[in-house]
Amino acid sequence: MRSQRQRLAYILLAPLALFIGALTLYPTAVTTVEAFFREYSLVNNHNFVGLKNFHDAFSTPAIRQSFVNTGIYVLSGTVLSVVLGIAFALLLRQRSRWRAPLLALVVLPWALPPVVEALLWSRIYDPTFGPLNGVLKSIGLISHNQVWLGSNRWEALVLIELVQVWQTTPLCVLLILAALQLIPSELYEAGAVDGASAWHGFRYITLPLLRPGITIAMVAAITASLNIFDQPYILTGDASASASVGVQTYLVSFQNLNFGEGYALSLIMTLATAAISLLVLRLVYRRVEF
Amino acid sequence: MPLVSRRPSGRTRRVARRWGRWIALVLVVIWSLFPLYWGLSTSLMSSGAADSLPVHYYPHPLYLSNYGQLLNLQHANLGTLPYQLRQSLLNSTIESVGTTVLTVFVAIFAAYAFARLEFRFKRIILVTTIATLLLPAYATLLPLYKLMTSWNLVNTYLGIILTNTSGFLPLAIWILYNYFQGLPKELEEAAFIDGARPLEALARVILPLSLPGIAAAAAVTFLFSWSQFLFPLILTTDLRSEPATVVIAALYGPRLVAFSLMAAAGMLAIAVPAALALLLNRYIVSGLTAGATK
Repeated sequence: MRSQRQRLAYILLAPLALFIGALTLYPTAVTTVEAFFREYSLVNNHNFVGLKNFHDAFSTPAIRQSFVNTGIYVLSGTVLSVVLGIAFALLLRQRSRWRAPLLALVVLPWALPPVVEALLWSRIYDPTFGPLNGVLKSIGLISHNQVWLGSNRWEALVLIELVQVWQTTPLCVLLILAALQLIPSELYEAGAVDGASAWHGFRYITLPLLRPGITIAMVAAITASLNIFDQPYILTGDASASASVGVQTYLVSFQNLNFGEGYALSLIMTLATAAISLLVLRLVYRRVEF
Repeated sequence: MPLVSRRPSGRTRRVARRWGRWIALVLVVIWSLFPLYWGLSTSLMSSGAADSLPVHYYPHPLYLSNYGQLLNLQHANLGTLPYQLRQSLLNSTIESVGTTVLTVFVAIFAAYAFARLEFRFKRIILVTTIATLLLPAYATLLPLYKLMTSWNLVNTYLGIILTNTSGFLPLAIWILYNYFQGLPKELEEAAFIDGARPLEALARVILPLSLPGIAAAAAVTFLFSWSQFLFPLILTTDLRSEPATVVIAALYGPRLVAFSLMAAAGMLAIAVPAALALLLNRYIVSGLTAGATK
Protein backbone atom coordinates (compact mmCIF):
# COMPACT_ATOMS: atom_id res chain seq x y z
CA MET A 1 0.00 0.00 0.00
CA ARG A 2 2.70 2.44 1.03
CA SER A 3 5.02 1.55 -1.85
CA GLN A 4 2.05 1.63 -4.20
CA ARG A 5 1.27 5.19 -3.12
CA GLN A 6 4.90 6.11 -3.43
CA ARG A 7 4.90 4.82 -6.99
CA LEU A 8 1.70 6.76 -7.70
CA ALA A 9 3.37 9.92 -6.40
CA TYR A 10 6.28 9.51 -8.78
CA ILE A 11 3.92 8.86 -11.70
CA LEU A 12 1.96 12.02 -10.87
CA LEU A 13 5.17 14.02 -10.63
CA ALA A 14 6.70 12.68 -13.86
CA PRO A 15 5.28 15.41 -16.15
CA LEU A 16 6.46 18.10 -13.72
CA ALA A 17 9.92 16.54 -13.57
CA LEU A 18 10.05 16.48 -17.35
CA PHE A 19 9.14 20.15 -17.68
CA ILE A 20 11.28 21.46 -14.86
CA GLY A 21 14.16 19.14 -15.69
CA ALA A 22 14.28 19.52 -19.46
CA LEU A 23 13.05 23.10 -19.89
CA THR A 24 14.22 24.87 -16.71
CA LEU A 25 17.04 23.12 -14.82
CA TYR A 26 18.89 21.72 -17.84
CA PRO A 27 18.84 25.07 -19.72
CA THR A 28 19.99 26.89 -16.56
CA ALA A 29 22.90 24.45 -16.28
CA VAL A 30 23.72 25.01 -19.97
CA THR A 31 23.78 28.79 -19.43
CA THR A 32 26.08 28.33 -16.44
CA VAL A 33 28.55 26.18 -18.35
CA GLU A 34 28.43 27.90 -21.74
CA ALA A 35 29.25 31.30 -20.21
CA PHE A 36 32.83 30.03 -19.94
CA PHE A 37 33.10 28.74 -23.50
CA ARG A 38 33.60 30.55 -26.75
CA GLU A 39 30.55 30.22 -28.86
CA TYR A 40 29.27 32.08 -31.86
CA SER A 41 26.03 30.73 -33.23
CA LEU A 42 27.35 30.91 -36.81
CA VAL A 43 30.90 29.65 -36.32
CA ASN A 44 30.63 26.50 -34.30
CA ASN A 45 33.95 26.42 -32.54
CA HIS A 46 33.57 25.53 -28.94
CA ASN A 47 36.44 25.79 -26.49
CA PHE A 48 36.96 26.79 -22.91
CA VAL A 49 37.88 30.46 -22.61
CA GLY A 50 37.52 31.08 -18.87
CA LEU A 51 36.30 34.57 -18.08
CA LYS A 52 36.88 35.93 -21.59
CA ASN A 53 33.15 36.35 -22.36
CA PHE A 54 32.70 38.33 -19.16
CA HIS A 55 35.79 40.40 -19.90
CA ASP A 56 34.66 41.12 -23.47
CA ALA A 57 31.18 42.05 -22.31
CA PHE A 58 32.48 44.46 -19.70
CA SER A 59 34.89 46.10 -22.11
CA THR A 60 31.88 47.25 -24.18
CA PRO A 61 30.84 50.72 -22.89
CA ALA A 62 27.15 50.16 -23.79
CA ILE A 63 27.04 47.01 -21.66
CA ARG A 64 28.77 48.69 -18.72
CA GLN A 65 26.21 51.46 -19.03
CA SER A 66 23.36 48.93 -19.04
CA PHE A 67 24.44 47.75 -15.59
CA VAL A 68 24.21 51.30 -14.24
CA ASN A 69 20.83 51.70 -15.95
CA THR A 70 19.58 48.47 -14.42
CA GLY A 71 20.77 49.65 -11.01
CA ILE A 72 18.63 52.78 -11.39
CA TYR A 73 15.67 50.67 -12.54
CA VAL A 74 15.99 48.40 -9.50
CA LEU A 75 16.43 51.21 -6.97
CA SER A 76 13.66 53.46 -8.23
CA GLY A 77 11.36 50.54 -9.06
CA THR A 78 11.66 48.81 -5.70
CA VAL A 79 11.27 51.97 -3.62
CA LEU A 80 8.28 53.25 -5.62
CA SER A 81 6.45 49.90 -5.90
CA VAL A 82 6.83 49.07 -2.22
CA VAL A 83 5.98 52.56 -0.91
CA LEU A 84 2.95 52.81 -3.22
CA GLY A 85 2.07 49.23 -2.32
CA ILE A 86 2.00 50.03 1.40
CA ALA A 87 0.06 53.28 0.85
CA PHE A 88 -2.58 51.69 -1.42
CA ALA A 89 -2.93 48.68 0.88
CA LEU A 90 -3.53 50.94 3.92
CA LEU A 91 -6.20 52.82 1.95
CA LEU A 92 -7.89 49.59 0.87
CA ARG A 93 -7.66 48.00 4.29
CA GLN A 94 -11.11 48.95 5.53
CA ARG A 95 -13.80 46.46 4.58
CA SER A 96 -16.64 48.09 2.68
CA ARG A 97 -18.81 47.30 -0.28
CA TRP A 98 -16.47 49.45 -2.38
CA ARG A 99 -13.39 47.42 -1.64
CA ALA A 100 -13.88 44.54 -4.10
CA PRO A 101 -14.60 46.79 -7.13
CA LEU A 102 -11.77 49.15 -6.15
CA LEU A 103 -9.38 46.23 -5.85
CA ALA A 104 -10.44 44.96 -9.28
CA LEU A 105 -9.53 48.33 -10.84
CA VAL A 106 -6.26 48.56 -8.91
CA VAL A 107 -5.20 45.08 -10.06
CA LEU A 108 -5.95 45.82 -13.73
CA PRO A 109 -2.49 47.20 -14.73
CA TRP A 110 -0.87 44.01 -13.41
CA ALA A 111 -3.00 41.86 -15.69
CA LEU A 112 -2.19 43.50 -19.02
CA PRO A 113 0.76 42.94 -21.39
CA PRO A 114 3.68 45.31 -20.60
CA VAL A 115 4.26 45.78 -24.34
CA VAL A 116 0.86 47.45 -24.77
CA GLU A 117 1.23 49.34 -21.49
CA ALA A 118 4.55 50.80 -22.65
CA LEU A 119 2.86 51.77 -25.94
CA LEU A 120 0.13 53.63 -24.02
CA TRP A 121 2.62 55.36 -21.70
CA SER A 122 4.76 56.45 -24.65
CA ARG A 123 1.85 58.66 -25.63
CA ILE A 124 1.60 60.11 -22.13
CA TYR A 125 5.27 61.11 -22.37
CA ASP A 126 4.87 62.40 -25.95
CA PRO A 127 6.55 65.83 -26.13
CA THR A 128 3.86 67.37 -28.37
CA PHE A 129 0.57 65.56 -27.75
CA GLY A 130 1.22 63.97 -24.36
CA PRO A 131 -0.96 64.78 -21.37
CA LEU A 132 2.08 64.88 -19.03
CA ASN A 133 3.31 68.11 -20.62
CA GLY A 134 -0.28 69.35 -20.86
CA VAL A 135 -1.00 68.83 -17.16
CA LEU A 136 2.36 70.15 -15.94
CA LYS A 137 1.98 73.25 -18.09
CA SER A 138 -1.56 73.94 -16.94
CA ILE A 139 -0.57 73.81 -13.26
CA GLY A 140 2.46 75.97 -14.02
CA LEU A 141 5.24 73.51 -13.15
CA ILE A 142 6.85 73.83 -16.59
CA SER A 143 6.63 76.72 -19.05
CA HIS A 144 7.17 74.82 -22.30
CA ASN A 145 7.00 71.23 -23.55
CA GLN A 146 9.70 68.82 -22.36
CA VAL A 147 11.15 65.87 -24.27
CA TRP A 148 10.71 63.31 -21.51
CA LEU A 149 12.51 60.24 -22.82
CA GLY A 150 15.36 61.90 -24.66
CA SER A 151 17.07 64.81 -23.03
CA ASN A 152 17.94 63.79 -19.47
CA ARG A 153 19.17 60.21 -19.06
CA TRP A 154 18.38 59.83 -15.33
CA GLU A 155 14.93 61.29 -15.79
CA ALA A 156 14.28 58.95 -18.73
CA LEU A 157 15.35 55.92 -16.66
CA VAL A 158 12.96 56.76 -13.83
CA LEU A 159 10.10 57.49 -16.27
CA ILE A 160 10.64 54.15 -18.05
CA GLU A 161 10.73 52.41 -14.68
CA LEU A 162 7.52 54.22 -13.71
CA VAL A 163 5.75 52.29 -16.48
CA GLN A 164 6.91 49.07 -14.84
CA VAL A 165 6.03 50.39 -11.37
CA TRP A 166 2.52 50.95 -12.70
CA GLN A 167 2.38 47.24 -13.51
CA THR A 168 4.19 45.87 -10.43
CA THR A 169 2.49 47.98 -7.74
CA PRO A 170 -0.81 46.02 -7.83
CA LEU A 171 1.04 42.82 -6.94
CA CYS A 172 2.77 44.62 -4.05
CA VAL A 173 -0.62 45.97 -2.90
CA LEU A 174 -2.11 42.46 -2.83
CA LEU A 175 0.84 40.93 -0.99
CA ILE A 176 0.95 43.71 1.62
CA LEU A 177 -2.85 43.80 1.98
CA ALA A 178 -2.84 40.06 2.68
CA ALA A 179 -0.33 40.59 5.51
CA LEU A 180 -2.22 43.65 6.76
CA GLN A 181 -5.42 41.69 7.22
CA LEU A 182 -3.71 39.27 9.58
CA ILE A 183 -2.95 42.01 12.12
CA PRO A 184 -5.55 41.72 14.90
CA SER A 185 -7.42 44.98 15.54
CA GLU A 186 -7.08 44.44 19.33
CA LEU A 187 -3.46 45.51 19.01
CA TYR A 188 -4.55 48.96 17.82
CA GLU A 189 -7.23 49.17 20.53
CA ALA A 190 -4.59 48.36 23.12
CA GLY A 191 -2.35 51.01 21.57
CA ALA A 192 -5.16 53.59 21.65
CA VAL A 193 -5.72 52.92 25.35
CA ASP A 194 -2.04 53.62 25.92
CA GLY A 195 -2.46 56.91 24.04
CA ALA A 196 -0.67 55.96 20.82
CA SER A 197 -1.28 58.27 17.85
CA ALA A 198 -2.15 57.00 14.38
CA TRP A 199 1.49 57.49 13.34
CA HIS A 200 2.72 55.55 16.36
CA GLY A 201 0.25 52.79 15.55
CA PHE A 202 1.65 52.59 12.03
CA ARG A 203 5.28 52.84 13.09
CA TYR A 204 5.22 50.42 16.04
CA ILE A 205 2.37 48.03 15.24
CA THR A 206 1.65 47.96 11.48
CA LEU A 207 5.14 48.27 10.02
CA PRO A 208 6.88 45.59 12.14
CA LEU A 209 4.02 43.12 11.64
CA LEU A 210 3.96 43.81 7.89
CA ARG A 211 7.53 42.63 7.45
CA PRO A 212 6.70 39.26 5.84
CA GLY A 213 4.36 40.96 3.31
CA ILE A 214 6.84 43.75 2.59
CA THR A 215 9.63 41.20 2.08
CA ILE A 216 7.71 39.27 -0.57
CA ALA A 217 6.63 42.52 -2.25
CA MET A 218 10.27 43.66 -2.32
CA VAL A 219 11.41 40.39 -3.87
CA ALA A 220 8.66 40.69 -6.51
CA ALA A 221 9.62 44.31 -7.30
CA ILE A 222 13.36 43.54 -7.39
CA THR A 223 13.05 40.52 -9.69
CA ALA A 224 10.76 42.48 -12.03
CA SER A 225 13.00 45.55 -12.26
CA LEU A 226 16.28 43.62 -12.39
CA ASN A 227 15.00 41.72 -15.42
CA ILE A 228 13.19 44.64 -17.06
CA PHE A 229 12.99 44.22 -20.85
CA ASP A 230 9.63 45.09 -22.44
CA GLN A 231 9.38 48.70 -21.24
CA PRO A 232 12.81 50.00 -22.39
CA TYR A 233 12.59 47.87 -25.56
CA ILE A 234 9.29 49.50 -26.55
CA LEU A 235 9.95 53.02 -25.25
CA THR A 236 13.54 53.58 -26.40
CA GLY A 237 14.39 50.52 -28.53
CA ASP A 238 18.10 49.71 -28.69
CA ALA A 239 19.25 53.13 -27.44
CA SER A 240 22.04 52.29 -25.02
CA ALA A 241 21.30 55.35 -22.83
CA SER A 242 18.35 53.50 -21.28
CA ALA A 243 18.91 49.85 -22.29
CA SER A 244 18.79 47.39 -19.38
CA VAL A 245 21.12 44.41 -19.05
CA GLY A 246 18.17 42.37 -20.36
CA VAL A 247 17.93 44.47 -23.51
CA GLN A 248 21.71 44.23 -24.03
CA THR A 249 21.59 40.45 -23.52
CA TYR A 250 18.99 40.25 -26.28
CA LEU A 251 20.93 42.57 -28.61
CA VAL A 252 24.27 40.87 -28.03
CA SER A 253 22.76 37.42 -28.64
CA PHE A 254 20.32 38.02 -31.46
CA GLN A 255 21.68 41.10 -33.23
CA ASN A 256 25.42 40.57 -32.84
CA LEU A 257 24.93 36.79 -32.70
CA ASN A 258 27.54 36.63 -29.93
CA PHE A 259 26.06 33.87 -27.82
CA GLY A 260 29.16 33.60 -25.64
CA GLU A 261 28.68 37.09 -24.25
CA GLY A 262 24.93 36.50 -24.17
CA TYR A 263 25.47 33.49 -21.90
CA ALA A 264 27.84 35.49 -19.68
CA LEU A 265 25.28 38.29 -19.25
CA SER A 266 22.49 35.75 -18.68
CA LEU A 267 24.50 34.06 -15.95
CA ILE A 268 25.17 37.40 -14.23
CA MET A 269 21.45 38.21 -14.32
CA THR A 270 20.53 34.79 -12.95
CA LEU A 271 23.02 34.95 -10.10
CA ALA A 272 22.14 38.57 -9.28
CA THR A 273 18.42 37.78 -9.14
CA ALA A 274 18.92 34.78 -6.87
CA ALA A 275 21.52 36.47 -4.64
CA ILE A 276 19.60 39.71 -4.12
CA SER A 277 16.31 37.88 -3.51
CA LEU A 278 17.90 35.62 -0.90
CA LEU A 279 19.67 38.58 0.70
CA VAL A 280 16.38 40.49 1.00
CA LEU A 281 14.67 37.40 2.44
CA ARG A 282 17.47 37.13 5.02
CA LEU A 283 17.69 40.78 5.97
CA VAL A 284 14.10 41.96 5.84
CA TYR A 285 12.03 38.89 6.64
CA ARG A 286 11.02 38.28 10.24
CA ARG A 287 8.60 35.62 11.23
CA VAL A 288 5.71 37.23 13.09
CA GLU A 289 3.34 35.49 15.49
CA PHE A 290 0.05 36.90 16.68
CA MET B 1 -15.43 70.63 30.67
CA PRO B 2 -12.32 69.96 28.54
CA LEU B 3 -13.94 66.76 27.34
CA VAL B 4 -17.00 68.64 26.06
CA SER B 5 -14.98 71.30 24.28
CA ARG B 6 -12.89 68.68 22.53
CA ARG B 7 -15.87 66.92 21.03
CA PRO B 8 -16.49 69.07 17.93
CA SER B 9 -12.83 69.18 16.98
CA GLY B 10 -12.65 65.40 17.25
CA ARG B 11 -15.62 65.17 14.91
CA THR B 12 -14.23 67.57 12.34
CA ARG B 13 -11.01 65.62 12.44
CA ARG B 14 -12.85 62.41 11.75
CA VAL B 15 -14.79 64.02 8.89
CA ALA B 16 -11.57 65.46 7.45
CA ARG B 17 -9.87 62.08 7.69
CA ARG B 18 -12.78 60.42 5.92
CA TRP B 19 -12.70 62.97 3.11
CA GLY B 20 -8.95 62.63 2.88
CA ARG B 21 -9.32 58.88 2.50
CA TRP B 22 -11.87 59.25 -0.28
CA ILE B 23 -9.74 61.78 -2.14
CA ALA B 24 -6.74 59.46 -1.83
CA LEU B 25 -8.82 56.54 -3.15
CA VAL B 26 -9.94 58.62 -6.14
CA LEU B 27 -6.26 59.40 -6.86
CA VAL B 28 -5.45 55.66 -6.68
CA VAL B 29 -8.18 54.92 -9.22
CA ILE B 30 -6.97 57.73 -11.52
CA TRP B 31 -3.41 56.39 -11.30
CA SER B 32 -4.62 52.87 -12.13
CA LEU B 33 -6.90 53.80 -15.02
CA PHE B 34 -5.59 57.01 -16.59
CA PRO B 35 -3.14 55.43 -19.09
CA LEU B 36 -5.89 53.02 -20.16
CA TYR B 37 -8.41 55.84 -20.45
CA TRP B 38 -5.95 57.89 -22.49
CA GLY B 39 -5.29 55.00 -24.88
CA LEU B 40 -9.02 54.29 -25.27
CA SER B 41 -9.78 57.95 -25.82
CA THR B 42 -7.05 58.33 -28.46
CA SER B 43 -8.16 55.15 -30.20
CA LEU B 44 -11.58 56.77 -30.68
CA MET B 45 -10.13 59.78 -32.53
CA SER B 46 -9.12 60.17 -36.14
CA SER B 47 -5.36 60.52 -36.55
CA GLY B 48 -5.95 64.17 -37.48
CA ALA B 49 -7.84 64.84 -34.25
CA ALA B 50 -5.38 62.87 -32.12
CA ASP B 51 -2.34 64.63 -33.56
CA SER B 52 -3.57 68.19 -33.24
CA LEU B 53 -3.25 70.94 -30.67
CA PRO B 54 -4.53 71.79 -28.15
CA VAL B 55 -4.50 68.24 -26.75
CA HIS B 56 -7.97 66.64 -26.73
CA TYR B 57 -8.84 65.17 -23.35
CA TYR B 58 -11.77 63.15 -24.69
CA PRO B 59 -12.88 62.07 -28.18
CA HIS B 60 -15.46 64.31 -29.79
CA PRO B 61 -17.05 63.23 -32.04
CA LEU B 62 -16.53 59.50 -31.46
CA TYR B 63 -14.53 58.07 -34.35
CA LEU B 64 -14.94 54.31 -34.69
CA SER B 65 -13.10 53.91 -37.95
CA ASN B 66 -9.76 52.81 -36.38
CA TYR B 67 -11.50 49.72 -35.06
CA GLY B 68 -13.54 49.30 -38.25
CA GLN B 69 -10.37 49.27 -40.34
CA LEU B 70 -8.43 46.95 -38.05
CA LEU B 71 -11.29 44.47 -37.80
CA ASN B 72 -11.83 44.59 -41.56
CA LEU B 73 -15.38 45.85 -41.12
CA GLN B 74 -14.68 48.68 -43.52
CA HIS B 75 -12.31 49.17 -46.38
CA ALA B 76 -8.87 50.26 -45.27
CA ASN B 77 -5.68 51.31 -46.92
CA LEU B 78 -3.53 49.60 -44.36
CA GLY B 79 -2.01 46.78 -46.40
CA THR B 80 -1.65 43.58 -44.39
CA LEU B 81 -1.84 45.33 -41.01
CA PRO B 82 -5.43 44.24 -40.15
CA TYR B 83 -4.60 40.67 -41.15
CA GLN B 84 -1.41 40.69 -39.05
CA LEU B 85 -3.27 41.94 -36.00
CA ARG B 86 -6.15 39.49 -36.30
CA GLN B 87 -3.88 36.52 -36.93
CA SER B 88 -1.66 37.47 -33.99
CA LEU B 89 -4.68 37.79 -31.68
CA LEU B 90 -5.75 34.32 -32.77
CA ASN B 91 -2.21 33.07 -32.06
CA SER B 92 -2.23 34.71 -28.60
CA THR B 93 -5.54 33.02 -27.85
CA ILE B 94 -4.41 29.56 -28.95
CA GLU B 95 -1.08 29.83 -27.12
CA SER B 96 -2.63 31.17 -23.91
CA VAL B 97 -5.45 28.62 -23.83
CA GLY B 98 -3.02 25.81 -24.68
CA THR B 99 -0.59 26.88 -21.96
CA THR B 100 -3.37 27.22 -19.40
CA VAL B 101 -4.88 23.78 -20.07
CA LEU B 102 -1.50 22.01 -20.06
CA THR B 103 -0.21 23.88 -17.00
CA VAL B 104 -3.31 23.31 -14.88
CA PHE B 105 -3.48 19.65 -15.91
CA VAL B 106 0.14 18.94 -14.92
CA ALA B 107 -0.13 21.14 -11.80
CA ILE B 108 -3.22 19.34 -10.42
CA PHE B 109 -1.42 15.97 -10.33
CA ALA B 110 1.80 17.40 -8.95
CA ALA B 111 0.04 19.51 -6.31
CA TYR B 112 -2.05 16.50 -5.23
CA ALA B 113 1.09 14.39 -4.80
CA PHE B 114 2.76 17.14 -2.74
CA ALA B 115 -0.33 17.81 -0.62
CA ARG B 116 -1.58 14.27 0.05
CA LEU B 117 0.97 11.55 -0.70
CA GLU B 118 4.06 10.57 1.25
CA PHE B 119 7.17 9.76 -0.73
CA ARG B 120 10.91 10.00 -0.55
CA PHE B 121 12.58 13.33 -1.48
CA LYS B 122 9.19 15.07 -1.30
CA ARG B 123 10.50 18.16 0.42
CA ILE B 124 13.50 18.60 -1.83
CA ILE B 125 11.40 18.18 -5.00
CA LEU B 126 8.83 20.70 -3.75
CA VAL B 127 11.46 23.24 -2.70
CA THR B 128 13.35 22.87 -6.01
CA THR B 129 10.12 23.39 -7.96
CA ILE B 130 9.14 26.51 -6.02
CA ALA B 131 12.72 27.86 -6.05
CA THR B 132 12.65 27.99 -9.86
CA LEU B 133 10.21 30.90 -9.42
CA LEU B 134 13.31 32.96 -8.59
CA LEU B 135 15.00 32.11 -11.91
CA PRO B 136 14.76 34.97 -14.41
CA ALA B 137 13.87 34.40 -18.07
CA TYR B 138 17.55 34.92 -18.97
CA ALA B 139 18.57 31.75 -17.11
CA THR B 140 16.93 29.65 -19.80
CA LEU B 141 16.58 32.06 -22.74
CA LEU B 142 19.48 31.08 -25.02
CA PRO B 143 19.47 27.31 -24.29
CA LEU B 144 15.70 27.16 -24.87
CA TYR B 145 16.17 28.98 -28.17
CA LYS B 146 18.74 26.34 -29.18
CA LEU B 147 16.57 23.44 -27.94
CA MET B 148 13.49 24.71 -29.77
CA THR B 149 15.55 25.22 -32.92
CA SER B 150 16.93 21.69 -32.79
CA TRP B 151 13.47 20.27 -32.11
CA ASN B 152 12.04 22.24 -35.05
CA LEU B 153 9.64 24.01 -32.70
CA VAL B 154 10.48 27.59 -33.72
CA ASN B 155 7.40 29.20 -35.28
CA THR B 156 5.05 26.62 -33.81
CA TYR B 157 2.33 26.89 -31.18
CA LEU B 158 3.83 23.89 -29.38
CA GLY B 159 7.20 25.63 -28.93
CA ILE B 160 5.55 28.60 -27.23
CA ILE B 161 3.18 26.46 -25.16
CA LEU B 162 5.98 24.20 -23.86
CA THR B 163 8.18 27.20 -23.00
CA ASN B 164 5.32 29.00 -21.24
CA THR B 165 4.28 25.90 -19.32
CA SER B 166 7.78 25.29 -17.97
CA GLY B 167 7.82 28.88 -16.73
CA PHE B 168 4.37 29.05 -15.15
CA LEU B 169 4.06 25.54 -13.66
CA PRO B 170 5.73 26.38 -10.32
CA LEU B 171 3.26 29.15 -9.46
CA ALA B 172 0.26 27.05 -10.55
CA ILE B 173 1.52 24.18 -8.38
CA TRP B 174 2.08 26.53 -5.45
CA ILE B 175 -1.49 27.90 -5.75
CA LEU B 176 -3.08 24.43 -5.99
CA TYR B 177 -0.81 22.94 -3.31
CA ASN B 178 -1.92 25.63 -0.85
CA TYR B 179 -5.53 25.13 -1.87
CA PHE B 180 -5.47 21.33 -1.48
CA GLN B 181 -3.78 21.66 1.89
CA GLY B 182 -6.65 23.81 3.10
CA LEU B 183 -9.19 21.07 2.39
CA PRO B 184 -10.09 18.74 5.29
CA LYS B 185 -8.60 15.26 4.92
CA GLU B 186 -11.67 13.60 6.45
CA LEU B 187 -13.63 13.89 3.19
CA GLU B 188 -11.13 11.76 1.29
CA GLU B 189 -10.77 9.33 4.16
CA ALA B 190 -14.49 8.67 3.92
CA ALA B 191 -14.01 7.91 0.23
CA PHE B 192 -11.06 5.62 1.03
CA ILE B 193 -13.22 3.67 3.46
CA ASP B 194 -15.69 3.19 0.60
CA GLY B 195 -12.82 1.59 -1.32
CA ALA B 196 -11.81 4.52 -3.53
CA ARG B 197 -8.25 4.74 -4.86
CA PRO B 198 -6.26 7.97 -4.46
CA LEU B 199 -6.92 9.11 -8.05
CA GLU B 200 -10.64 8.47 -7.60
CA ALA B 201 -10.59 10.52 -4.41
CA LEU B 202 -8.82 13.29 -6.32
CA ALA B 203 -11.38 13.26 -9.13
CA ARG B 204 -14.53 12.80 -7.05
CA VAL B 205 -13.77 14.57 -3.79
CA ILE B 206 -10.95 17.06 -4.18
CA LEU B 207 -11.46 18.49 -7.65
CA PRO B 208 -15.13 19.43 -7.23
CA LEU B 209 -14.19 21.31 -4.04
CA SER B 210 -11.17 22.96 -5.66
CA LEU B 211 -12.82 24.91 -8.46
CA PRO B 212 -11.86 28.30 -6.91
CA GLY B 213 -8.22 27.18 -6.63
CA ILE B 214 -8.23 25.83 -10.19
CA ALA B 215 -9.81 29.09 -11.42
CA ALA B 216 -7.05 31.04 -9.64
CA ALA B 217 -4.26 28.95 -11.15
CA ALA B 218 -5.87 29.07 -14.62
CA ALA B 219 -6.53 32.82 -14.59
CA VAL B 220 -3.00 33.71 -13.47
CA THR B 221 -1.45 31.34 -16.02
CA PHE B 222 -3.61 32.69 -18.84
CA LEU B 223 -2.70 36.30 -18.04
CA PHE B 224 1.01 35.50 -17.84
CA SER B 225 0.85 33.72 -21.21
CA TRP B 226 -1.01 36.56 -22.90
CA SER B 227 1.60 39.06 -21.66
CA GLN B 228 4.65 37.08 -22.81
CA PHE B 229 7.00 39.02 -25.04
CA LEU B 230 10.70 38.09 -24.76
CA PHE B 231 10.35 34.35 -25.43
CA PRO B 232 7.91 34.73 -28.35
CA LEU B 233 10.22 37.43 -29.74
CA ILE B 234 13.00 34.87 -30.17
CA LEU B 235 10.85 31.79 -30.81
CA THR B 236 8.69 33.23 -33.59
CA THR B 237 9.60 34.91 -36.86
CA ASP B 238 6.29 34.96 -38.71
CA LEU B 239 2.54 34.91 -38.33
CA ARG B 240 2.36 31.15 -37.95
CA SER B 241 2.83 31.71 -34.22
CA GLU B 242 3.64 35.39 -33.49
CA PRO B 243 1.40 36.56 -30.62
CA ALA B 244 -0.15 40.05 -30.47
CA THR B 245 2.62 41.43 -28.22
CA VAL B 246 5.29 40.68 -30.85
CA VAL B 247 3.25 42.04 -33.76
CA ILE B 248 2.34 45.23 -31.90
CA ALA B 249 5.97 45.81 -30.93
CA ALA B 250 7.04 45.33 -34.55
CA LEU B 251 4.35 47.72 -35.82
CA TYR B 252 5.15 50.36 -33.20
CA GLY B 253 8.95 50.10 -33.44
CA PRO B 254 9.51 52.14 -36.63
CA ARG B 255 6.84 54.70 -35.57
CA LEU B 256 5.25 54.61 -39.05
CA VAL B 257 1.64 53.85 -38.04
CA ALA B 258 -0.54 56.73 -36.76
CA PHE B 259 -0.76 56.59 -32.97
CA SER B 260 -4.58 56.57 -32.87
CA LEU B 261 -4.50 53.38 -34.95
CA MET B 262 -1.76 51.88 -32.73
CA ALA B 263 -3.89 52.73 -29.70
CA ALA B 264 -6.86 50.91 -31.22
CA ALA B 265 -4.62 47.89 -31.90
CA GLY B 266 -3.43 48.07 -28.28
CA MET B 267 -7.00 48.19 -27.00
CA LEU B 268 -7.87 45.10 -29.05
CA ALA B 269 -4.82 43.34 -27.59
CA ILE B 270 -5.80 44.09 -23.99
CA ALA B 271 -9.54 43.46 -24.36
CA VAL B 272 -9.34 39.77 -23.44
CA PRO B 273 -6.99 40.03 -20.42
CA ALA B 274 -8.78 43.15 -19.15
CA ALA B 275 -12.18 41.42 -19.28
CA LEU B 276 -10.72 38.34 -17.61
CA ALA B 277 -9.03 40.39 -14.89
CA LEU B 278 -12.26 42.20 -14.04
CA LEU B 279 -14.47 39.09 -14.17
CA LEU B 280 -12.12 36.73 -12.31
CA ASN B 281 -10.65 39.35 -9.99
CA ARG B 282 -11.48 37.39 -6.84
CA TYR B 283 -9.58 34.32 -8.07
CA ILE B 284 -6.62 36.35 -9.31
CA VAL B 285 -6.27 38.01 -5.90
CA SER B 286 -6.39 34.66 -4.13
CA GLY B 287 -3.96 33.14 -6.64
CA LEU B 288 -1.37 35.88 -6.31
CA THR B 289 -1.49 35.84 -2.52
CA ALA B 290 -1.49 32.04 -2.17
CA GLY B 291 0.73 31.14 0.74
CA ALA B 292 1.89 34.77 1.01
CA THR B 293 0.64 34.97 4.58
CA LYS B 294 2.88 32.25 5.93
